[in-house]
Amino acid sequence: MKKFLTVVKREYIQRVRAKMFIVSTILLPIVMSLFLLVPAIILSIETPPMRVAIVDQTGRMYSQIRQALFTDQQGTDTPNVNSGAPRTTTPRRSFSRFTLEEVNATSQPLDQIRASLDQRLRARELDGYVILPPDFLSQGKAEFINRNPGDLFSPQALQSAINRAAREQRLIDAKVDTKTRQDLFKPIELQSVKAGAVGSQQNNSNAGFAVVFGVGFVMYLAILMYGQIVLGAIIEEKETRIAEILFSSVKPFTLMMGKLVGVSLVALTQLAIWGTAFGVFAVYGVGLLASEGVRESIPNIPFLHFIYFGLFFLLGYFIYATIYALVGSMVTTAQEGGQLAMPIILILVVSFYLFWPVSRAPDSPFSFWVSMIPFSAPVAMLVRIVTQTPPFWQIALSLLIGFSTVFVIMWLASRIYRVGMLMYGKRASIPEAIRWARQA
Amino acid sequence: MAANETTVKLDGVSKSFGEFTAVSDLSLDVRAGRVFGLLGPNGAGKTTTIRMIVNITAPDTGTILLFGRRIDAGLQNRIGYLPEERGLYKKMRVADQLRFFAEIKNMRGKQVESKIDEWLARVKLPEWKNKRSMELSKGMQQKIQFITAVIHDPDLLILDEPFSGLDPVNVELLKEIVLDLKRAGKTIIFSTHQMEVAEKICDDICLLNRSRKVFEGSLREIKSSFGRNSVAVRCEGGDGVLDDPALVSKLVRHADEAQALLAAGANAQTLLKRLIDSGAVISKFEMVEPSLNDIFITKVTEPA
Repeated sequence: MKKFLTVVKREYIQRVRAKMFIVSTILLPIVMSLFLLVPAIILSIETPPMRVAIVDQTGRMYSQIRQALFTDQQGTDTPNVNSGAPRTTTPRRSFSRFTLEEVNATSQPLDQIRASLDQRLRARELDGYVILPPDFLSQGKAEFINRNPGDLFSPQALQSAINRAAREQRLIDAKVDTKTRQDLFKPIELQSVKAGAVGSQQNNSNAGFAVVFGVGFVMYLAILMYGQIVLGAIIEEKETRIAEILFSSVKPFTLMMGKLVGVSLVALTQLAIWGTAFGVFAVYGVGLLASEGVRESIPNIPFLHFIYFGLFFLLGYFIYATIYALVGSMVTTAQEGGQLAMPIILILVVSFYLFWPVSRAPDSPFSFWVSMIPFSAPVAMLVRIVTQTPPFWQIALSLLIGFSTVFVIMWLASRIYRVGMLMYGKRASIPEAIRWARQA
Repeated sequence: MAANETTVKLDGVSKSFGEFTAVSDLSLDVRAGRVFGLLGPNGAGKTTTIRMIVNITAPDTGTILLFGRRIDAGLQNRIGYLPEERGLYKKMRVADQLRFFAEIKNMRGKQVESKIDEWLARVKLPEWKNKRSMELSKGMQQKIQFITAVIHDPDLLILDEPFSGLDPVNVELLKEIVLDLKRAGKTIIFSTHQMEVAEKICDDICLLNRSRKVFEGSLREIKSSFGRNSVAVRCEGGDGVLDDPALVSKLVRHADEAQALLAAGANAQTLLKRLIDSGAVISKFEMVEPSLNDIFITKVTEPA
């Protein structure tokens, strides 16, 4: 036990003291936030409003369209001083801004209007125009002549606004009064209540799902980042040729367990640093929102579930980390290991897809079995816990199977490692690895 | 420790890997407080034998006793092992590294620090204490590796080709340390295929060849049993005499002198007389013991 702790201590201290650890701890959150911020910044770059003329042959649509386009986008609706009619919007959510202009459709024949508008398009005084034919409201067909067909967003926004405007106008034509119109479009609310819940207590499985997803994501991240490091750590003694010196002092199993635990503590340390930083920001953010009057409710999840989240996170992490260790025991260089480790990530990704079938039928035999198989248990069991919490014995059994598997894999890995070390520089094929594990 | 006490005892030990037999029916006694040379060419089974002694692999058959007991984790702490395949953690500082190797042998507390300083001074590397091992030269690294095997003050020290790749000054330094440890009552198993090195520091030897023991005993015994039948000669002329198979069975020419193994029935007096008669100018003529190398070659080629 003392020797085990010596190995853990060395592994932990050497890694935490390394520049790499400090740099990655600081850099990763910065890179992550850049990933989130840069698209937002790019999308918020202001483009000049699109100048659109509307040839309204129905004579009733222009004001409706303007209203639909501008009120929907919550923009300021200021009159354009030059022409009087065009108005500019500054939408908050849409990527497209518009300047609308009404073209008198009755003073000239349509062909002449088209010709003059086409000329203005060529002169770049206009970006596009819409022709609403006289039978637009009954036929629902309009034409949009666009100078830049590559723009994917503006026609969509325009279509949606005209669609709403047409619906509104059709209702007016059908003599439906304002209040009825508003009532017709009032959104409904579907409240999901857990069976057997007291009174109108809300079901929290939505919040639960979010947390399971979060746990799953952090697990995935941890395995992705640290799996390779576990592999490298296992190979370290082989590459530096220290293994033989160590094996005259410690058992291979002790050494490998010590290395696995040491690296894992480093991973947990890093995650804890990020978690704390994130937590501080979150609390600060919620406080800021609260001071502005926005109430952000903290999901109501039983405390016991948090313990389960922690345990299954650890299980998930260790199950996959030990497979990396197993791969490490077979290969002689980290590159070789990287290739062999690819399928591991695949199993992990597949286990994430279980989220859907398990959440739909958490009590089915299928859900039971996948929540017992160590490789899928971390995701499957957590989904079951937040939907229909299974009996305690099932949770305990799943954990027992999972952590026993971790030990079995490590034991196998240490046997393969020892024989592999005795035959220098040779990478084990799978059948060889099996033979080595038997004969060690 | 009593002179006749046995530190390591192997009895009928065999080990094979699949089809390949690495060690077959090996029995030997390593006596306490002596330097025991485990000798043989590459692939003779030296390293496998050592690995069984330090409990890295288990023998297929036979028993191994250390300090009169079967090996266990506790006994491992009394062994210091410097394998032929050895290295250091590249990015670890020398002192941290040595501390780790001491702790992994269950050595704790302040004595670790004083041992680190003591040993670094002894191998003349005290100023490298806080350097990362990747900054050290190969020879320096080798001396640090040597310390990792002795820092916990083991009763049994096993050195597998400890001097390979070292310059003569450092070979001398480590050799002195090994002899000091012997004087302090430690038992040392010294494995090498370089007979000249073994000859200088071993008390007892065991010759291995192709997984089998060829000879075991004290270096004195084996040398005297072979008798003094070699002559070192430095002379000008007289080539025909030295090449006479009736007098000399084997002649090895070095840069400025030759070593002649006398043929059966011939004696040194006759050889000297013949040389003088042939008109050779003799500047050296000395009876010498056979080298371990000669003994080894004779033993190995001898019909069983």
